[in-house]
Amino acid sequence: MPRLLSGAHRLRNSPLLLKLPPYLSFLCIIVGVVWLFLLPLDEYSRRTYISENALLPGQVHTYFGGSDQNVFRAFKHEINALADTDANSTVVNDKVAEILEDIGLKTARQRYRYAGQGVQGENIYSVLAAPRGDATEAIVLVASWRNGKGEINRKGVTLLLTLARYFRRWSLWSKDIIFLVTPDSAAGPQAWVDAYHDSHTAGVESLPVKSGALQGALVIDYVKEDRFKSIHIAYDGVNGALPNLDLVNSVVSIAGGQMGMGVGLQEMWTHRDTYRDRLETMLRGMLKQGLGTASGAHSAFIPYHVDAVTLSPYGDGWQDEMAMGRVIEGTFRSLNNLLEKLHQSFFFYLLMSTERFVSIGTYLPSAMLVAVNFTFTSIALWIKSGMPEAEVGKGLEGKRMDKARLGQVERDLFLPLGVVVVVQALGVVPLGLFNATPQQLLAPVFAIFTILNLILPYVLSELLRTYKPTTQQYQLILSFSLLLLGMFLSTLATLNFSLSMMVGLLASPLSFVRPGSRFWAIPLALVSPPVVLGVATAVLKHGSFAAISDVLREAAFGWNVMGMYTPVIVWCVWWPAWVVGSLVVLGRPSTGKAKTA
Amino acid sequence: MHRFLSFLLLFLFSLYASGVASAADYHEQLVLQPLPLSALLASFNFRSNTSLSAFEAHNYRFFPRSLGQILQHAGTRELHLRFSLGHWDAESWGARPWNGTREGGTGVELWAWLEAEEEDEANHRWSTLTNALSGLFCASLNFIDGTRTTRPVMSFRPEGTLPNTNSSSNTQLLYGVLPREVVCTENLTPFLKLLPSKGKAGIASLLDGHKLFDASWQSMAIDVRPICPPGGECVLEIEQTIDMVLDIERSKRPRGNPIPRPVPSHELKCDMTKPYQSDDTCYPADYTASQDWTLSQVFGRLMKGACPLSDPSVPPVCLRVPHSRDVYVSVGVREMKNADGLSRCFEVPSDAEVDIVLPQIGQAGVTGHTANGAILTPDTPPLYAERSFTGYGQERGGVQTILTNPSPDKEVEFVYMESLPWFMRIYLHTLQARLDGQNGADNSLIQEVYYRPAVDRARGTQLELRMRIPPASTVFLTYDFEKSILRYTEYPPDANRGFDVAAAVITILRVGQEAVSTSSLRTTTLLLSLPTPDFSMPYNVIIFTSTAIALAFGGLFNILVRRFVAADEGPEVSIKTLKTRIAARLSDLVKKFKQAKIDRKE
Repeated sequence: MPRLLSGAHRLRNSPLLLKLPPYLSFLCIIVGVVWLFLLPLDEYSRRTYISENALLPGQVHTYFGGSDQNVFRAFKHEINALADTDANSTVVNDKVAEILEDIGLKTARQRYRYAGQGVQGENIYSVLAAPRGDATEAIVLVASWRNGKGEINRKGVTLLLTLARYFRRWSLWSKDIIFLVTPDSAAGPQAWVDAYHDSHTAGVESLPVKSGALQGALVIDYVKEDRFKSIHIAYDGVNGALPNLDLVNSVVSIAGGQMGMGVGLQEMWTHRDTYRDRLETMLRGMLKQGLGTASGAHSAFIPYHVDAVTLSPYGDGWQDEMAMGRVIEGTFRSLNNLLEKLHQSFFFYLLMSTERFVSIGTYLPSAMLVAVNFTFTSIALWIKSGMPEAEVGKGLEGKRMDKARLGQVERDLFLPLGVVVVVQALGVVPLGLFNATPQQLLAPVFAIFTILNLILPYVLSELLRTYKPTTQQYQLILSFSLLLLGMFLSTLATLNFSLSMMVGLLASPLSFVRPGSRFWAIPLALVSPPVVLGVATAVLKHGSFAAISDVLREAAFGWNVMGMYTPVIVWCVWWPAWVVGSLVVLGRPSTGKAKTA
Repeated sequence: MHRFLSFLLLFLFSLYASGVASAADYHEQLVLQPLPLSALLASFNFRSNTSLSAFEAHNYRFFPRSLGQILQHAGTRELHLRFSLGHWDAESWGARPWNGTREGGTGVELWAWLEAEEEDEANHRWSTLTNALSGLFCASLNFIDGTRTTRPVMSFRPEGTLPNTNSSSNTQLLYGVLPREVVCTENLTPFLKLLPSKGKAGIASLLDGHKLFDASWQSMAIDVRPICPPGGECVLEIEQTIDMVLDIERSKRPRGNPIPRPVPSHELKCDMTKPYQSDDTCYPADYTASQDWTLSQVFGRLMKGACPLSDPSVPPVCLRVPHSRDVYVSVGVREMKNADGLSRCFEVPSDAEVDIVLPQIGQAGVTGHTANGAILTPDTPPLYAERSFTGYGQERGGVQTILTNPSPDKEVEFVYMESLPWFMRIYLHTLQARLDGQNGADNSLIQEVYYRPAVDRARGTQLELRMRIPPASTVFLTYDFEKSILRYTEYPPDANRGFDVAAAVITILRVGQEAVSTSSLRTTTLLLSLPTPDFSMPYNVIIFTSTAIALAFGGLFNILVRRFVAADEGPEVSIKTLKTRIAARLSDLVKKFKQAKIDRKE
């Protein structure tokens, strides 16, 4: 034991150890990234399977069809008449209410208004009570009048009405079925789900009629007029939360297995199950998860632990609306079978094709490694800051160091802590700025902010120089900032893996900057949050920089309406770390003497 | 010989039957009332009496012996048992049958007045009663234990006259409820067996499990109460009631083909006024709230005549439709129209199979709504109640009950009773009643509160509120609660389904007369999801601890049994020593082998 201790002591004093951290950090990042790229391989991903035996997807015969198609066509005429005249929400709801009441269902409406976002509308819904049930559980079928792209969901709403009529005839439902038509695919569903759980804001009305606990939701986004080939499943929720994998698997199994149509994920219209396609699907999924925005009407349900997906047909084939209806019928029959809430399968997963996934245990280490590299650097900087300055300067020629030379230096913590706290607190400024600015001013405000943001480190470093900070204090500033960053990111990795990974990689240069190394200033400016935001928007939106206004509006909408926390991570975790990094790089340490202990 | 005997038996039986019938000890009646939205309410009522002296002398005639013995053994004065399923849609169907006094919340409800001096004795008798009834009705009534039993103070009043009313202290009221119990055919069969006709004759012959349990709402009730008419002999009355709301469209579906396949397109009823109407396009007009049915269609069988034991002065079947509607009946059935113009009854011979046909009147409107005058408008109930959970998450929640008084001029006073499971810990200080349209709580709405807090794992919360709601107003009654974490073994096998919370019982009092309850209603049950552990966790824990113990034990055992010596003290280990050792072993073996050979030769 004493030998072990002395060994550790020797190792601690070894000069090699102090040189190791940058390489260790670099290794962590490399391994983290390589890990991610290994995931699509057969050895690291798994085949999907149905974990909840009660679901029995595709085991029931579906009967939707026959003369129901005549009814569908009639309803389609009614919906077309509304769509062609571009009727407003109230007129649409009057018609939908009339049809639902003819079917024999009672309807209820809910108005909502998000004043800050300039969004308002009226939801209409109707509860088909389970024939022998007691309103304890419910499943939801949603169709929004306009989908995320602003197209009118003609066939979706029609299919919802036809299915309402068809489902009413069955006596086997064990859960209530709620048919919900919303004017749009973001604010409407959000207002409805919030009100269902009584957590709605002031502009949103309470629901006049309610049922029991929501067990699942299915959204129809069906704008394609002619016959289709495959079904696209959108499953990402707000803040990167995902529905239970069993739900996705059930739809895949019913649509792909029973109905014999193709199934697509993440807007990969062709997927040949190659490494490249798998990787692309996974990365697209990670991007969506990392941004944390809503990807359809289903996204609003997921934060309330209601598993939901959006189904939208695509491709040219021979499947018609009745086939789509049978997919929904089959999925509802499966959900109806559920005795317990969906809890068996995974809630944290990355899908890389409809039949392959990796679960959290396999992918989490990669984000954790990226996050932990900041902690390594932070610890190294802390140790370094405790060494006499002369030693560090000389480069520690180890072998003949005596005790006196290894003496610890007293650390001056007040200034570093103060700087880190102030910069972290400054993060509230851009957060408030971008979430409270009126929409039309967002683009100019962003441009001004980007410029100011690039000047900010220079200003701050000049300000800081009035306090004559030493190298040690610069090291400590960076150390505390990176410690916080590492802590935030590793916590975030368990909640939103992709966001943590993205921020971690973009912030990774911060691990290698050192006080006074001014050549880092330019590369750091390139990975500053506003620049990254601008460039990414320009690349993703095909070269239009003006799209930044849309992106910012969406972010503000997400933050204000849907409780999306991505802006908090960007402005209160990443941005302060970046500001501190740039500040330290630009710093000119004064040659004040450090006190020797 | 056999035939003769049976004939004789039949003869004697009919003599006997006519003898009792005159004493009006048993009667039965079925009331049918079409409701809006293509529904039909069928209320079966069977009632029989026995004098208290005969009952105490174990002399049973119409009173079921099996139940009577249980009641005597458990010292039960008055008993009410309810089996219910489904949801009464008060908005469409209006007031409840029997003013809601013959129904329970979803699942099983039981309340009884027991003869007992002390609480312990009452508990003991209660347990005897629930266990015996559990066996009799094939229901899990034996699970009504201390945590599910309450002693309501304001909600229930005895319906009968308890013998010594002045010393009512020696009867105790206990109330138990099982919201999760699924009511099904196995509960119907024992229910029918209690009837004198055993379900073979009279209106009881219409009761078929398939149709009863396919109903949108159904409630089976058994009420036993002692009645002492002034100056007469005390009698014990048993009343069995079955109320069900049938969906006409669904029950008319033939039993052989229950799947609602899409009809062939030429059979589809279309709205011809639509401009796009064609062979392949059809705006449906077939949902016409159809109110035409025959008895045999909706119940799946014909009625086997009137029960010979029943009181002939009470018509066995009544139908509540306006007199303007035609009703066709089988031969031998006599129709009697009641003076109120809203109902008619039928006298049925006891030996004929009977059917009643209610034809469609006129052409139903294309919009799908019931033609005027086809059915009676249901009465408005005195109170609407809707209860739901608020909030989300695994830690806290809230309950909100919306109570609406539809009456334009009369205020309504009622007792609202919740019996909640112990793991739903309510915060009483958050209890508040708020009038719709006002912001703050209104203290005048809740007149009186009786609250008995829960004890973990021993008893549930009991909350009784006497409330008064002004005319034409809506009240939001809300309170918050905390979800507790159960022990690992306390979770049921389907823990992730959630836990059922029993329906709230609302007893409406006549204004100014607190003691007399006029009607009651139940809210729906609720599904409470509690935080559930990952049930594979104990497995992981076992694996981990086993590994840790194995490692620790291995090391410790090694240290204890090994002798440690310094390296230079021990025998030298090298290739050379190993070689000599192996050589020695080999030569030993060779020696032994040789020895064995020699031995064999000898």
